[in-house]
This record gives sequence, structure tokens and C-alpha cells, in this order.
Amino acid sequence: MIVCVAVIGQQNNPLFLQSFTQEDDDLKLHHIVHCSLDVIDERVNNPKRSGIAVNEAFLGLLYPTESYKVYGYLTNTKVKFILITADPEVRDADARNFFRKFHVAYVDAVSNPFHVPGKKITSTSFSRKLRSIVDNLGSITTV
Amino acid sequence: MTNYLAQFQAIKNASDRIVVAVEDVSELWPIVKEKFEEKLPFKKASLNNKTRNPVYIENLPAEFILTTDARLRSRVPQELSLFWFREPYATIILVSCEDLDEFKTILKPRLKLIVQNDEREWFIVFVSKALPDNDQATKLAKKVYSRLEVDFSTKKRERCCKFDLHGNDSSFWEDLESKIVESIRNTLDRRVQFYEEEVRKLTEQRFMPVWSFSNFFILKESLAFMFEMVHLYEDALREYDELELCYLETVNTSPIKQREFGGFDHGDDQAMLLKPDHKPLTQFIQNDSFREFEFRQYLFACQSKLLFKLSRPAEVSTRGYSFIINYSKLLASHENDLPFCLREIWVITACLAIIKYTTFHYDGGLVTAEVEKEFYRLQGDFFSLSRVKFMRLAYLIGHGAEIDKSPVNSAELSMLPWPRPAVWPLVPPDVSSEIFEKEKIMLQSNPTAEHFGIQRKALPLEPSSLLREANRRRASLSTPNLSDLSDGRQNLKDGSGVGGSSRFSPQNKERSSSMPRTYSSPMNIESSHVVLDRPMRLSEIQVASEHALKKTLSDPDLWTSLSSKQNFEKKYMELTKGAADNYHRSWWKRHAVALDGEIAAVYFRHGDFDLAANSYEKVCALYAGEGWHDLLADVLPYLAECQKILNDEAGYLSSCVRLLSMDDGLFLTKERQTFQSEVVRLAHSEMKNPVPLDVSSLITFSGTHGPPLELCDGDSGTLSVTVWSGFPDDIILESLNLTLTVTFTADEGINAIKCSNVTILKPGRNTIILDLPPQQPGSYVLGVLTGQIGHLRFRSHSFSKGGPPDSDDFMSYEKPVKPVLKVFKPRPLVDISAAVSSALLMNEVQWVGMVVKPINYSLRGSILHIDTGPELDIKNSQMIEIENSSVFVQDSPNLVDTEITRNDANLESCGNHKRLVLENGKIELPDWASNVTTIVWLPVCATDKKLSRGTSAACPQRQSVLDGMRIVALKLEFGASRNQKFERTVAVHFTDPFHISTRITDRGNDGALLLQVILHSQVKATLTIYDVWLDLQEGFEHIHKDSGRPSSSFFPLVISPSSRASILFSICLTNMVPGVVSDALQSDSILNIKYGISGERTTGAHEPVSESSDGSKVELHFKSAIFLQRPVLDPCLAVGFLPFPSDCLRVGQLVRMEWRVERLKETESLSSTGNDEVLYEVDASSENWMIAGRKRGHVSLCSKRGSRIVVTVTCIPLVSGYVHPPHLGLPDVGKANIRCNPPGPHLVCVLPPMLSSSYCVPI
Repeated sequence: MIVCVAVIGQQNNPLFLQSFTQEDDDLKLHHIVHCSLDVIDERVNNPKRSGIAVNEAFLGLLYPTESYKVYGYLTNTKVKFILITADPEVRDADARNFFRKFHVAYVDAVSNPFHVPGKKITSTSFSRKLRSIVDNLGSITTV
Repeated sequence: MTNYLAQFQAIKNASDRIVVAVEDVSELWPIVKEKFEEKLPFKKASLNNKTRNPVYIENLPAEFILTTDARLRSRVPQELSLFWFREPYATIILVSCEDLDEFKTILKPRLKLIVQNDEREWFIVFVSKALPDNDQATKLAKKVYSRLEVDFSTKKRERCCKFDLHGNDSSFWEDLESKIVESIRNTLDRRVQFYEEEVRKLTEQRFMPVWSFSNFFILKESLAFMFEMVHLYEDALREYDELELCYLETVNTSPIKQREFGGFDHGDDQAMLLKPDHKPLTQFIQNDSFREFEFRQYLFACQSKLLFKLSRPAEVSTRGYSFIINYSKLLASHENDLPFCLREIWVITACLAIIKYTTFHYDGGLVTAEVEKEFYRLQGDFFSLSRVKFMRLAYLIGHGAEIDKSPVNSAELSMLPWPRPAVWPLVPPDVSSEIFEKEKIMLQSNPTAEHFGIQRKALPLEPSSLLREANRRRASLSTPNLSDLSDGRQNLKDGSGVGGSSRFSPQNKERSSSMPRTYSSPMNIESSHVVLDRPMRLSEIQVASEHALKKTLSDPDLWTSLSSKQNFEKKYMELTKGAADNYHRSWWKRHAVALDGEIAAVYFRHGDFDLAANSYEKVCALYAGEGWHDLLADVLPYLAECQKILNDEAGYLSSCVRLLSMDDGLFLTKERQTFQSEVVRLAHSEMKNPVPLDVSSLITFSGTHGPPLELCDGDSGTLSVTVWSGFPDDIILESLNLTLTVTFTADEGINAIKCSNVTILKPGRNTIILDLPPQQPGSYVLGVLTGQIGHLRFRSHSFSKGGPPDSDDFMSYEKPVKPVLKVFKPRPLVDISAAVSSALLMNEVQWVGMVVKPINYSLRGSILHIDTGPELDIKNSQMIEIENSSVFVQDSPNLVDTEITRNDANLESCGNHKRLVLENGKIELPDWASNVTTIVWLPVCATDKKLSRGTSAACPQRQSVLDGMRIVALKLEFGASRNQKFERTVAVHFTDPFHISTRITDRGNDGALLLQVILHSQVKATLTIYDVWLDLQEGFEHIHKDSGRPSSSFFPLVISPSSRASILFSICLTNMVPGVVSDALQSDSILNIKYGISGERTTGAHEPVSESSDGSKVELHFKSAIFLQRPVLDPCLAVGFLPFPSDCLRVGQLVRMEWRVERLKETESLSSTGNDEVLYEVDASSENWMIAGRKRGHVSLCSKRGSRIVVTVTCIPLVSGYVHPPHLGLPDVGKANIRCNPPGPHLVCVLPPMLSSSYCVPI
């Protein structure tokens, strides 16, 4: 089950955060996403040690805890996508695929002439699109 | 083979170093033992590792054991090649012999026997007991030793060495050590080979039924242990790694045996991750079954032991963390069978153990920065993990109230599943008092005080309702239907639980934290007896968990930490601080700072507000810095509260401002109003140290839309500024100032402008008008907004972009610097010039026009100061007129028409004309004249008391223009506040209407003179002459003795502008009595002219201004003085110079000079005297001329007119050259009466004398 997806700006500021839980506890997701930036920073600063290819946007599993997993993705413009999932088993390929679609949706959203770069994304269609991507991934992983 | 396990364990425990056997043939060991053992451990040893590469080992420990020792004797060689590692690695045969024969007969066969058929690595140490001074004995010993060498050493290998008991032994010890090491190396190689072979064999049989993991384990571990003994830790570690891998494969791939997992022994809850000897192997390896619980920990312990020996504690951490995570999962899969919460306790103890040991071994030296960061990060992870588990346990047993419901804790706990025992622990009997106590605590625990009245839903710490989870597990075995029913009812009632929370709206969910408490209300306390079919209450669950935990938990310290609230908090702080510190060291600042927030929360609860504020500040700075406002909004109220309590007014104010400037959705309007009221309250209170408050995020400002305000240099104005207020309510600003910054110049470019009034800012957009004093030229942008709320000064630096205050300030782009004000460089704003350049009438009241021309600048309200110079007066100050210059331009072609039709009345009505009143030398320009070019007409009169003078036409003397110049000094004060000044001095030219010149055109024989008076018109106006008369001076008179008026039929005579007219007067001379001095008045003749003028003031001279203009022509009177001079020449005699007889004059030559004197006129005076003689005199320079004859004398000349006489004088020129000739003068006759005709030459040429030839004798 995907718990949350988030878009983080170049300055590590939150641009978008959508939770897919029924509960009203976004704040803890904010915390998780925020803390995951530590790992992204480390990976980006030490790409060799982390074993990421230089031109690879997908950062892989950022940190596993017992209860949830955080995946990361870094675009060329240093915008980060974060995925928090509570699924015990997520295939890397699925996550990678998810992020690719996420990226496309993001590009569409920021191409909106009324969007101010660097500001929070308020587009509802972006949110809808993300939900459908998340639902898709959910159906893949559950199958 | 598993039978050997106990033995194996014992062997391992017993032997910790390699053994070197000593075969003491000659009973020497007691003598040399001490010396031999002194040399241990071996300083340097070169051994081969598993891949046959040499490895240098320092300080290799070893032990010498006599072959006769019980430890070696008891072993049955070759019995168990498995334990080969403990066998001696070298054998030293100690011999001594002083007799060759003895050697040959006894010793040699014995030695042969010892070394025969033995795979041991041996060598012989020959001990020579000979004293150094005993040569014979020494020689003998040498002989025996050489014999020994011959017999036992081979070419390939030296197997003998000699030890002089009393001699120098340094070389021996080196030799001995090298030989021992060589033996050890060989033995080790052989044994490694053996073990490898065995392992290979076993591996080949891996998938056969006979294969046993325990055999493999013993082999592998033996090999590993052997490596460890010889300090080849890397190889040992590799063996353990392979062993672990193989074990995991076996465990995962062979489902054959339903193995026992383990974990039920007392103390199993404590991880034995770093203690390989914690449990004997036999305890968890039975019948080829390895209890996974212990065995995996055992393997990890062995590995970590080796890693510590390799000084790689960081790797222990790395391996440890993934081990714990994986192991925790493993425990989770067996959780049904394991004791209650064993998994949680195990993780806590494992983490703490690894932290303890790695910290102990980690010295921080010789590692890269990355490794160091990684190490601390892992330490942080361990602390964090143990902290989570610790919180989970504490929550289960009822310390939930002490756990802050922060995002950190919620993120960690709410997604972590509850323990899943097969059956939830039951409430033990006789615990009603404990249950009662728990209930009491729950009722007493106050919900955390919310600051500023912020009502937030507490974040969950439970993954699902504990009540439901516990009851479900408890009842699942007994009466599932009943429990489901009751659970369901419960869920419907309180809306908590997994299903409940997903089905219900957030409003319902909000009660989830409080409902369990209401459910466990005191009403139910009496029923402490728990029946199976009744759901447990929360307090009962807690008590039951506590008791179950107590059973599981074997670590007394951990139990102490959980036993009371104080101890819990102590441990909680220890773990949190540990995690935070380590994360800080590892540069995971976000993790660290978030935990700092947790520490701060505890400090806050305990009243350590100072420490709490410090930590909260760090947290807030981090969240604010990266724009995580949701998280910031959670923490900032606490910081504000701390600052309030600590009386840190500046901090508190700035926190309030930050709270106010948060995104709109984060706080309710009511809460924001509270923040504002706090700010206002503080602002109006007496602050001890008032500090300027930065409200950039709250109050922003920008210039108004559209082009910037444009001002001329020196002008003041008003600037309109849009100010956005982020306050939820109106706020009163006691003052408001704004600085303007000059763009493109760095220095002195800041000017403050002020809005002095009290301003009330509405929420949202406000427009403020500020007075703008005169500014330097340049382009200005808005700088800083400052102001005062109560006693509080504030400042704002931020520009708004036409929206509400921008909260994401850190992200804002380069702000477009739009100038709000442009002050132009000084330029002419107005011009004042004379309207007419041609001359005006002197001594008459004339209009002087001043063109006031604004140059793209409004003259509204401007004042014109007029100061006339000397000899110029403004007549009638009531009559100053102003008119539009365009009218003037249009009208100018038909001057005459306007002249006729214009009157004051219709000018008044046309709006472009007005009469102004001069007061104190100034007039105020009307408003309609502010933007158009106007002409101000001043009625002035230039006075000139001098009478104008006529001139002679023969030698015209023009009057100087300056005589008619008059000066008008003008000063215009204009601009918004009459700040602009324009000063100009205008010269106006005045003149008489005519310039008179005279000449005598003819004279009659009767002495009548025709005097022509020429009138030059000096003005650009048509002059009409009505009458002219001439009052003659003494000595002249009109011929007919009349008034001298010309014929009246000529008048009126019209003279066009700049044209001339002339009038002839016939006058004659009168006889004057010489010596009578005439009056001054009569010295000049006066010409009087009566004239009229018709001209337009816009072109030049015009009719004099009069108040009552009735349209009738005004006759003007002009007087001019004319000086007539009587004729001066009256020749009576004419003297003529007769030409020389010869052409050239020479020096010394006689010359006759002849002058003819002729009487021209018979004068009465001459005739009356009767004297007809004329006195003559020749005047010549005596240097040039010698005069022969009379120079002076009388000649008689008839007095009749026309009589003539010639005067002759002979002269001799004395010098050559051009000389003045002699001159004939008539001394008695005045010069005026002599006419020279023909006149004499001025100079004559005198040649030098002729050359005398008589003196020239040819030679």
C-alpha cells in the first residue's frame, strides 16, 4: 500500500505531498519525507559509495524500517520525488516505473503557464493523475 | 559427529594459541625453558593465508609444551583430524651430547626413531654445555654438532641449530625463531589444505541425504579457529561468512526437519550478539539441528569478535544493523511462539550491546570521513531503533501519556505493528489494585496544554487500537464470535481500530485517542474479575502486558527503566539524546534535529524552558530554512511558549510574527487572532529591551501599479504605496516610514520618507499615501518599511508581488526592482522672456509683456515677483493683465483688427485673459495659466529727464541703446509648494518716438539758410504728426519772424514704422553781439512735435496706457533740442603758392619762392580801418633753409576785392632730402579769414649739390 508521495524542490522545500491513507496524520508523513532528504543528500554527495549510476534518476530504496519503506527519485533539475510505501515487498522495477510516470505527470504539471516554478504545486489534475498512478501500482503489487 | 561438539567446544576453550612441542631427549628443558619462553611471542612471522599469499604477523603467540606433557600425551594422534588445529605446529628436539661415540651409538638411533615416519615439522636444537674457556669441550661439541648436521640436515632444509648454553646466543634465537616459524608455516599450509579438502568433499555431498550441517560446521569452524589462532583473522572471518551463508541456504532450502527455533530459555530476550560464549554450542545444537535463534547470533558474535580484532568496529555496526533488521523479521515470523514482546526486547538489547561494544572499540583514527559518518549514522540508527522499541513497550504497559505525540514518534510508532503473540496475555489474578492504579493514572493525566488555544488532533501512536488488537488476539482462540461482536460494538461506539478508522470520517477519528479512556471509566472498575468472554479494558491490557513483559524480560536494568514514569523518561532521554548526537555527528541533520525536538519536549514538560527553547530553536530553524511549514507549525507554538515563559520578549515576538506569517491553512483565524493579540499586547507593554522586529514575512509592500511617480528636481510630492498586511485583524501602526533607495548608486542613496499619521492596516491590501520631500535626482526603489506598533519598532524588507505576504520567502526569485519614483535632473521648468523686443515709448505708460512659458511643468499656484529697476515704474498696479499666449499668436496677423475690436469686457469673458492685482510687488498666476504659455502685461513708465537731442545729418551721432534700457527683475515661485524658483532680469528697451537730425540744405545769397529737420521714426508703430514748430536759439531767426511752423496743410503727416520724414525751415542768422553770453535755455533750438501713435503692444510701442480709454486719440508732445551753429569760415584773403621755376632744387642753389596774396572780399571791418597794408612773415626752418631778403614785412594790397600781390622770397636749401618748404603767414589776419588757394606743397625734394669736376683729377 502506498502511503504517500511527495515532490521536493531544489532547496529541499516541499512542493507537493499527497497521502493515501484514510487517516488525518499527514504531519508524520511530512516528517518521514523530510528525514528522507538526509539520505538523498548523502546519496547524491557520494554517488560511488551508494552505487548509483551517475545518470540514474532512480535512487532506489532510501531507508527501510520495519514498518515502511521510502523510495527516492532525483530529476535533473534536482527536484526529488519520494514514495513511502507500507508494502513489505516492492520490486525495484515497479518503483522505477512508478517514478517514471510520476515524473511525466510532474513535468505536465509544471508546464502549466500559471505555475510558478519553485512554488507549491496546487494543480488538482496533477493530484488526480498521481492517484491513478498510485492505484495502478497498487494493483500491480497486490497482484 | 555431533557428539564431538562438546569436545570441540572444550578444545576451543582450552586452546587459544598454537602449540610447539618440545621433545626433550637429553633432559635439557628445565634448563632452557625459561630462555625459550622469554622469546615468546614470536616477533615476526610470515605465514601463508588461505590463498597462499604471505602475510606478516607480528607477535604471534605460541606455547612450548613438552611431548611428555599430559595435554599432548592424552591425545590420540590422528584420531580426529577435525581437531587437528590444536596439534603442535612444530616439534623441537632438544639434544645435548659431549661424546661422538655416544652420539653415534645412542643418540642418533634415538633421534632417527623420533623423526621417522612422522609428518610433524621438526628440527633439532643441539645444546652445547661447553664453557667458552674450555676449548676441548667446545671442539668436541662442534664435532658432535657437525655430525648431527650431516646426519639430519638436508640440502633442502636445515634441520639443526646449535645453542651454546654459555655462549653468545643472539644469532641462535633468530635462527630458532625462523625455524619455528618455518615449521609453523609448513604445518599450517598442510592443515589448511587438509581442511579445504574435507570441506570440498562435504560440499560435494551437500545435497545428499547423508550430508550433515554439523560436520560441515565443525570443519569450517575448526578451520576458522585455526586461522584465528595464527592471527589470520581475515581468513577466519571469511570462513565464518561462508558458514553463515551455507547455514542460511540450508535453513531456507531444507524444509525437511521441523527445527526448533529457540528463544525460550531464560535470558534469551537479551541479545548475545557479541558474546559467542554466551551459551555452550551443545545447548542449541542437538542431533544435527541448529536452533536458529541462538546459532545465528552465535555466528554473528564470532564474526564481530574477529572484526573487533581486525579493528573494524564500523563494520560491526554495518553488519549489525542489517542483522538486527533481518533477525527482527525472523523473530516476527516466529512471534506466535515466542514469549510476549521478546522481539522488541531483543532488538533493544541487541542495539544497546552493539552501541556499547562498537563505541568501546571505535577510536576514530585512521578512517575516512565517510566511514566515520557512516559509523555515527549507524550508531544513531541503533539508538533510534531501540528507542522505538522501548517506546512501544512503554506504551503497552501504560506509559503512553509520557510519549510526546509528535510527528517523529507518530511516524515511528503508528506504522509499527503491535506485538503478535498467539494469545494476548491474560490479566493475572489479584491485580485489581494495579488495574485501579492504571485507571487512576489515566484519569489524572491531563491532555497536554495547548498554547494560543491551538486545537490540534493529536497524532496517533498506535498502528491500530490496542484495545481491539489485544481483545482480538485474546479471544480468537476461545469465543471468536462473541469477541467479534463485542469488539464490533466497541468499534462502532468509539470509532477506533483499523476498520473503524478507515471507515469513519476524521471527525470521528479525532475521538479515537480519548475514547479508550472513557470506555475504561471508573464505572467498570469494580468488575476487576476478568472473564473470558468480556473484552479487556485498556487498563487490564496494560497490567496484563506488564506482567507478561516482566516474565519475558531478564535484564533488570531494562525492567527498571520501564517500571516507573521517571525511569522511563530517563531511559527515553538517554536513547533520544544518543540518537540525536550520533545523527548530528553523521551529518544527518534532519534526523538529528527532529530528535532534538523530542528532547526539547521532555525539557518542556519538566520545566527546563531554557534548554527546551534552545532545542526548539534549532528545530524551527531547520524547518523554516527548508520551508516545511506544516512541521514548523507543530513546533513553533512550543518555542513561543518557552520564550514567553523565559520572558524573552524579542524571541517571543518574532515567534508570534512567524506564526502569523505561516500559510493560511495551518492555523485557524481564531488562533491567528490570538497571535496578533499577543503581538499587540507586548507592543503596547513596557518592554525592557525593545528590539526592532522583523515582519518581512508579514507585512510586505510594493509601489502601486503603473509608471513610477515622476518629479522634477527639488519638488516634493506624495507617494502611494501598497502595503499588504498578513495580520488577521486590523492593526494600528503608530507610525510608518519607508526608505527609498537610489538605484545604480551605492552611496548616500537612502532617504526615509514618513507617514506620520496613525495608520490602520486592514488585513490584505492597503494603500498608504506618504509625503515625499524633495529628493535628489535619480531613480528610486522602495527600500525598507519601518514603523511602530505601540512601543515596538518593526521593519519589513520584503516586496510583495501584488499578492498576500509571501511565506515561501526563502524561495523567492530575484525581485524585480521597479522604480517607484523618478526625480529628474535639474532642467529648465519655466522660461520668462520679454514679449516684445522692439522699443517702447519713453516717458509714456507702456505695456511691457512678459511671456511666462512653463516647460512641461505645472505652474499652479505660482507667484511672480516683479521688481522694476531705476527709472522704471509700474503705473497703476491694479491693471496688470495676463493673457493666453496662443491668443496672442493667433491675433498677431490682424493686429489692427484686434486693436479696434478689443476691449476689456470681451477679454474678461474669454477666460484666457484676466486682470491681476500687484500686491507687495508680486502677483499670483491664475490656475488656468498653469500649463499654458501666458503673457503678463505690466503698465510701466520709463522716465528719462534728459531732453532728446537732434544731431547733425553730416556727422550723425547715434544715441546709445543703453540709454533707453530699463530693467525688470522677475522672480517666479512655483512648484507644488512653491519650492521652485526662477529668476530672470528682463531688459526692456525704451526710446523716443523720433530721432531728429538736421542739416543745412542750402543757403541763399542773402544769408538765408534752409534747415532740413529729418524725423526718423524709432518705433514699430505708425506715428501721425499733427503739428511741428521750432523754437530757435539765439543767433537765428525764422526768416519771416513767424513761429516757424510749416504749412499746416501738410498735417497730419503719417510716418510709417522705421521710415523718415523731413521738414524744411528757412532761417537766417541774426547779428550777435560778441561777448554777450546767451542763456542756457536759448543755447539750443527746440523742436516741438505734436504727434499721435497707433501701435500694438504685442509688436512694440503703442498708445500710452490710460485708465479711461475712451477711444479718442491722444496727442503726444515730443520735444527735441537742436543745436544750430553759426557759420565759422569767412575768408578775406587767399594765399597761393606759385610753382617753382625749376623742377628740382639743389642744395646751395638759389630758389625764388613766390606767394600770391589776393583779397577776396571787402570786409567792412577792414575797409573801415583803411589799412591796405598786409603784414607778412615767412616762416622757414633755419636748418633747412637760408632765406635771402626780408623775412617779415608789410606789403601794400589794395582794399578792393580782387586785388592781388605777389610776395617773393629767395631761399637757399641747406640740406638735401624732403624738407618742409618755407611758409608765408599773415600774422594780422585771423586764420578763419585766410584761404590757401592753391596751397603750398607739404614737402619739397632737395637734391644734393652738383659734383664739382675741378676737384676731380683723373689719375
